[in-house]
Amino acid sequence: MGIPQFPPRFDTSLVKPFYEGLAEGELRMPACPECGKLHWYPPEVLPCHPERKAEWRSVSPEGKVYTFTTVTRSLLPGDDNATAPYEVVLVEPDALPGAKIVGLFVGGTQPSCGQRVRLSPVDTGGDVSLPGFQPAAD
Amino acid sequence: MKGSQVAVTGVGETAYVRATDRSVLELMVEAARKAIADAGLEPNDIDGMVAPAAYHLDEIQFALGIEDMPFTAAASIMIAGAATVGSGLQLAQLAIESGLAKHVLVPFGLKCSNPGGPRGIHSSDPLKADLEMPVGYFGQPAYFAAVANRYEYEFGLTEEELASVAISTRKWAALTPSAQKRDPLDMAGYQRSPMIATPLRIADCCLMTDGAGAYVVSSVERAMDMPQKPVVVAGVGTAAGSLPLSQALTQNRSLLELPARKSAERVFAMAGVGAKDLDLAQVYDCFSPNVAVQVEMLGLAEEGQGFKFFASGAGAPGGSMPVNTSGGHLAGGYVPGINLLIEGVRQLRGDRGEAQVAGARVCGVAGLGGSSHATAILTQVQ
Repeated sequence: MGIPQFPPRFDTSLVKPFYEGLAEGELRMPACPECGKLHWYPPEVLPCHPERKAEWRSVSPEGKVYTFTTVTRSLLPGDDNATAPYEVVLVEPDALPGAKIVGLFVGGTQPSCGQRVRLSPVDTGGDVSLPGFQPAAD
Repeated sequence: MKGSQVAVTGVGETAYVRATDRSVLELMVEAARKAIADAGLEPNDIDGMVAPAAYHLDEIQFALGIEDMPFTAAASIMIAGAATVGSGLQLAQLAIESGLAKHVLVPFGLKCSNPGGPRGIHSSDPLKADLEMPVGYFGQPAYFAAVANRYEYEFGLTEEELASVAISTRKWAALTPSAQKRDPLDMAGYQRSPMIATPLRIADCCLMTDGAGAYVVSSVERAMDMPQKPVVVAGVGTAAGSLPLSQALTQNRSLLELPARKSAERVFAMAGVGAKDLDLAQVYDCFSPNVAVQVEMLGLAEEGQGFKFFASGAGAPGGSMPVNTSGGHLAGGYVPGINLLIEGVRQLRGDRGEAQVAGARVCGVAGLGGSSHATAILTQVQ
């Protein structure tokens, strides 16, 4: 399975701490400093305490596959498909059930819904590591 | 039956093609002229318009040479379940019922052949650009492929069941001279269709279309004296999802959930009918999984039975609940929502030739736009 060459643009600073965590092998998510509630995707305004700014925390790197797809024809802008197919998983992190982290499945096999997985950042050879997940013990 | 006091009195469409050099404005003006003529009106009889963007309102009014426009509103296709089925129709209804306008024009046009195509709306989202595109999760086929795999996990889904949506819809397109893709599709042909994102093939995806449609809404009272058989808008139910578009396709607790349940419940209450009273339905079919899920939420099939509904032939010509009788978006043309509404009107007029559904009196029209949904019910005059 391939690795897309489409690094994050960081048009906003909202998600930078997520990638900083990946570079250190950690899953990090934004939390409300007032009530501790985790949020995903990172919100511009915290719905729980709009006057506060989210603080990023390291959370459990494990979760389970909610769903997946093998993207056989990439529709990324300018993509010539040289790097496809991509095995994409939407992972429900144990730290925040219901949320989904979109990542690459690096298990070598086909993922399945409900499968236990663990964070395994993917080195792209560039500046950032991508969120990757590999099978974990049940 | 209850319902509103408005009717669709004119409809018009351009040809639906893969690519044209004509501009979106040219296409919308052509469709608008046809709809106005179909209603037996002149452009200056139009005194209200709901267009996709402010720019279209000015330009279309100018191009049609309309002197005065007391009621104007813009409604994006990303709100209220594709504005052409939801907020566009709803605003036209409100304008007429409140006396602000007599004849409201609702035009819509799209060129999927424009740079970026229909995916531009997603690539411009910073969260998608930074959290989804870097891992290759991009483009509507990938999003709805993930929905299909979850559906398979929760309810089961065979390849034949998945294919049945495209095959059923193509049968209707074959009976529709204006449909963009009319060649027959069987299981072998389906399996030859290239895979885009497992399990979705090109055949499971809406077409890429350049084209436009338009309709005119007037009071039922006026409609009785107009040339076409009036088609009453018995209600328009809309519902907005609780998540913004940037999150709706990934962060809904269940990705099989759409606000369709709410929009259907609302419109059934407005119209005083239920799912069992529908004679046919036009259901927003951007991708096969969406149409199967909406068929369930509209009450046309039990939960988990949406694909089996199509596999049984229920939605196909001769079936118990014909769905997408002009080929929908999968085979008719992708002109979000508006060609579905126009088809509903034509069926209730009895104008559909080979594709005419016998005894079509009540038609549901469902639209999906961004994280919102709309269901409209059209009926013949009681």
